[in-house]
Amino acid sequence: MRRFLSMTVLLCFLFSATAMLFARGQPEEEGTDIAEAEGLPREQTLILQNPEGSISNPGWFNIWVGGGGGLSTGLQQLAMDTFWFVDPNEGIDGVTYNSLASGPPEYNSDYTEMRVNLRSGIYWSDGVEFTADDVVYTVETQMNTPGMNWNGPFSEQVASVEAIDDYTVHFTLQAPNSRFHSLFSVRWNAAWMMPKHIFEQVDNPLEHSFDPPVGLGPYTLHSYDINGSWYIWERRDDWERTTVAEFGEPAPRYVIYRDGGPTDRRLIEMRNGNLDMIHDLTPEGMFSIVEQDPTTRGWFDGFPYAHPDPTLPQVIFNHQDPKFQDSRVRWALALMLDAQALSMASYRGAATLSAIGIPPTGTHPDDYHEPMQDWLIDYTIEAGGQTFQPYDPDLTLRIADTVRGEFGDEVPTDEAEIRRAFGYGWWGQNLDAAAALLEDAGFTRQGNDWYMPDGSRFGFTVMIPQDGVINRLGTMVAQNWQQAGVNATAEAAPDTWDRQAVGDYEVNIAWSVETWGGHPDLSWFLDSWHSQYVVGPGEEQPARNWMRWEHPELDRIIEEIRTVDFDDHERNVELGQQYARLVVDEMPFIPIMSYNVFVVMSERYWTGYPTADNPYANPVNNWANSRYIFNMLEPVSQ
Amino acid sequence: MERSANVEVEGKVRMRAYFIFIAKRAVQLLAVVFFGISAAFFITHLSPIDPVQQAILRITSRSSFSPTALVAMREALTEMYGMDQPLGTQFVNFWVRLLQGDLGPSLIAFPTPAMDLVLRALPWTVGLLVTAVIITWLLGNILGGLAGYYQNNKFLKAFGVVAMGLQPIPYYIVAFIVLIIFGFVWPVLPISGGYAMHVTPGWNIDFVMSVIRHATLPALSLVLVGMGLWFLGMRALVSNIITEDYVTYAETAGVDSKKIVGFYVIRNAVIPQLTALAMVLGGIFSGTVITEEVFSYPGLGSLLIQAVNGGDYTLVIAVTAIAITAVAGAIFVVDLLHPILDPRIRVE
Repeated sequence: MRRFLSMTVLLCFLFSATAMLFARGQPEEEGTDIAEAEGLPREQTLILQNPEGSISNPGWFNIWVGGGGGLSTGLQQLAMDTFWFVDPNEGIDGVTYNSLASGPPEYNSDYTEMRVNLRSGIYWSDGVEFTADDVVYTVETQMNTPGMNWNGPFSEQVASVEAIDDYTVHFTLQAPNSRFHSLFSVRWNAAWMMPKHIFEQVDNPLEHSFDPPVGLGPYTLHSYDINGSWYIWERRDDWERTTVAEFGEPAPRYVIYRDGGPTDRRLIEMRNGNLDMIHDLTPEGMFSIVEQDPTTRGWFDGFPYAHPDPTLPQVIFNHQDPKFQDSRVRWALALMLDAQALSMASYRGAATLSAIGIPPTGTHPDDYHEPMQDWLIDYTIEAGGQTFQPYDPDLTLRIADTVRGEFGDEVPTDEAEIRRAFGYGWWGQNLDAAAALLEDAGFTRQGNDWYMPDGSRFGFTVMIPQDGVINRLGTMVAQNWQQAGVNATAEAAPDTWDRQAVGDYEVNIAWSVETWGGHPDLSWFLDSWHSQYVVGPGEEQPARNWMRWEHPELDRIIEEIRTVDFDDHERNVELGQQYARLVVDEMPFIPIMSYNVFVVMSERYWTGYPTADNPYANPVNNWANSRYIFNMLEPVSQ
Repeated sequence: MERSANVEVEGKVRMRAYFIFIAKRAVQLLAVVFFGISAAFFITHLSPIDPVQQAILRITSRSSFSPTALVAMREALTEMYGMDQPLGTQFVNFWVRLLQGDLGPSLIAFPTPAMDLVLRALPWTVGLLVTAVIITWLLGNILGGLAGYYQNNKFLKAFGVVAMGLQPIPYYIVAFIVLIIFGFVWPVLPISGGYAMHVTPGWNIDFVMSVIRHATLPALSLVLVGMGLWFLGMRALVSNIITEDYVTYAETAGVDSKKIVGFYVIRNAVIPQLTALAMVLGGIFSGTVITEEVFSYPGLGSLLIQAVNGGDYTLVIAVTAIAITAVAGAIFVVDLLHPILDPRIRVE
C-alpha cells in the first residue's frame, strides 16, 4: 500500500512539473505576449477589449442584418465607413468628419432633397473603387428587404435615390427632414455602405454571412476565433486609399479585439500585457488598476478617471400614471434626493452630475451647462407661500472635497477642472421645500409618511436593472425617498428595457437622453419625443420618449429644430437651452448624471490615447468613431 | 441434461426480463425528454423578455431611428420570427420540426439555425465535462475507498482534511482562486479562451495540446470542488463495508489486502456512487455554465447565457433539449449498468 501511495504522489508531482514546464515553454501561457504567440510583433499590435464578450455567431460579418455576429469586434471600427462621423468630444480637426462624403450634406430649401458629393480614390479592401453606385445599392437593397437593419428608416424617408455620376448621389425624401443625413452620420454607428459588387452576387442578403468582410476601412480581417472570443485585423497595404489617410498612417499594424471577461480577468489581462485598452470597469476596478499599474490611466489623469458618455441616466416617471401628473410632485421628489449620496453610491463619487436634461460631456458644458449656470443659480420655485432657490452650485465642489480624503492628490483642486469632472452643480436636498410642494399639491403627512390627496399612502416601485452602477443609483434613490416619507421600493428586474417600452413601471432608472456629445443639436433623441409618437397606456412606446411626456412647448421646440439647419450652431444652442429650461420647469424626469465609462488605457506599448487634456476622440473603444485613435497612437520606444 | 436445459431456460427468462426492463426505462427516458423539452418551450415562451424587442434594441439602441421606422421594423421581425402565430400553433410546429431534427433559426443569430450554434459549442462542453467528471469521480472514489480502508494512513488523512475544507466553498470562489493563482500570482496557464491564437483549429497536435492547456484551469476548478464529494462519500461507505462479515472473513483467511480493497470493498461501495453520479450530472452541467463564464471558456453555458439575455427562446430550447437528453441518457445508461455491475441486483 505504501508503495502505491508513494507512486501516486510521485506521478502527481511528475505530472504537475511536466505540465508547468510545458506551459512555460509556450510564450502565450506565461500570461504575457499573447500577440507574439500569434506571430504578431507586440510593438506593432494593439489589443482592445470587446465589451460584447464572445460572439454567438462568430463568422457572421453581415452588419446590415442582425445575424448574431459582433459589431464592435473591430468590424464597425476598422472595416466600415459611411458619409460622416460626429465626434462625441472635440475631434482631431473639428467635431464633424467628412468621411466618404467630400463635404457636408447639401439640402434644398425645404429639406425634401439631399445631395452628397463623394470622395474619389476610395477603394474597397478587395481593390474595387467605391462609387455612388454602392450608395444607391445600399439604400435600395435595404428599402426592398424587410428584416435588414436600415429597412425601416430608408423605406419611411426615402422616395428615391440616384447616382448623378460616380461621385454624386441625390436623395429625394418623402417629407421635409433637415436631419436626414443623421442616418449616415456616425455617433456610435450609422448606416454603413454595402459593397455592391459582393452583394449583387448573393441570392438573399438576409442569409449572406459576408465572411470574409470586404470593407472601406483601413484594416482587413486577419483571422478570428471559431468561438468568437477574438478577432485580429491587419492594416491594409493600401491604407492610403481609405478615408482616414488624411490623418496619417494608422499606427498599429495589427489590432486585436478580444473578450475581456469579468472585471477581475480584465485587470489581470492588462497587468499581464494582454490588453492595451479596457472598455469599461467597475469604479472599484478602476481605482485598483491605476494604483497597481503605473502605466495605466483613465480619461482624466486622476480622479474621477472615467469618460462621461453623452448619455444621461435619469429618474424616469411614467407620465401615464396618475401619481406623476403634477409637476409639483415631481419637483418634490427631486428635492428629496441627496446628490452626494447618489454619486457615492453609484460611482463611489466619480459621477459627473447634471441638473439639466443634457449630459455634461463633450462640448455640452460649453454650450449649455456653463452658460446656464447663472440662470440655474437664480432659479426659484414657489411653494407654501415661500420662495426657494433649489440649485446648489457648490455641491460638486463638496463632493470633490469628500473624495479627496480617500484619493488625495488624484482629485483636482482647480474649480474649473472640478466642474468639468464632477459636474456644475445639482439640486440641493431640501425636505422643507419638498414638503411645501407636496402640501400645495394636496398631499398630507402623518408622522413621516406622505399620503396622496385621495387618502392613500404615497408609494411606488422604482424599477432598476439587476446590477451595475444604475442598480446602485436606483437603490439609493429609493432609499432617499423612503427616508423622506415616500413608500418607494426598489425593484430589480431582468427586463427593464422591455417593461419600459410598454410602460409597465411607475418610476424607472434608465436614460432617454442621448446626444451627439460634440455637437449641440439635440434632435438625435429629442425628435422622437414629439407628442405625435406617444402611444396609449399598455401600448409599446417607440424609443426614446420612455416617460411618455407630452407638452405643447416641447412640440414647438422640436418642430422648430426640424426647420433649423444642422450646422446653425447658434440657433441649435438657443433651442437646446429652451428645451433645458422647460425640463427644469416641468421636471418630467430627474436628470442625474452622465453615464461614466471607466476606460483604462495602458501606456506600456502605446501612447497618444485621447484624454480629457487632449480630447480628440471618444476613448470608449466599441464606438465606431474610436477609429481615429489608431491614427493618433504612437508606439512606446522599447 | 435436464438441468442444463433448465439453466438455459432460466437464462432466457432473465434476458427477457432484462429487455423488458430496458424497454420500460426507455419509455421513461422518452417521457422525461418530451416533458422536459415541452416545459422548456412554455417557460421560455412565457418569459417576459421579448426577442423582437431585444433584437430591435440591439439594432437601434445606439442609432437614430424615427418611431415610425421602429414600428415597421417590429412588424417585419415579428413576422420573420414566426411570433405572429398563436402559442399552441407554435408548439405543434415546434415538435413537428424537432422530430425532423430542426429546431428553427436562432433569434439572436437569425437566420442561422439554432442547432448549428449548439453543435458548434457542444464539443467544448462535452470535452470539459466528461474529462472533469471522469477525473473527479475516479480520483475521489479511489482515494476515498483507500482512505476508508486504510484509516490510519497520514497522507489519506491529510487528503480528507483538504477535501472537507474545499467541499463547502462555493464553486465560483474556487474558480476565482485558481484564476488568481495561475493567471496572476504565477501566470503559467492561460486564463481564457479555448485555444491559442496561433494554432489552426483541426486535428493537429498543436491545436490538441493548446486545447488541453486552455482546459486545464477550468477542469482543475471543477475537479477540486467535485472531488471532495466523492471522496467523503466513498470513505464513509467503505468504513461501513469493512465491518461486514465477509471482509473480516477474507482478512482472517489471509486474502491479499489489495484484492480485498479492490474486489470486495470498493466494488461493493461503488454501486451507490454510480447512482449518485447519475443524480448529480444535471448539477455538473449547471456548474459548467459558471466555469465558462469565469474562464470565458467556449461551450453551451456561454451560449445559454447569451440566449437568455437575448430572449432567444429557440436557442434556449436547443441548449436545454441537448442538456435534458444528455442527462436523461446518462441516467438511462447508469440504470442499465446496475444489474451488470452488481449481480445481486436482478430484474424481474
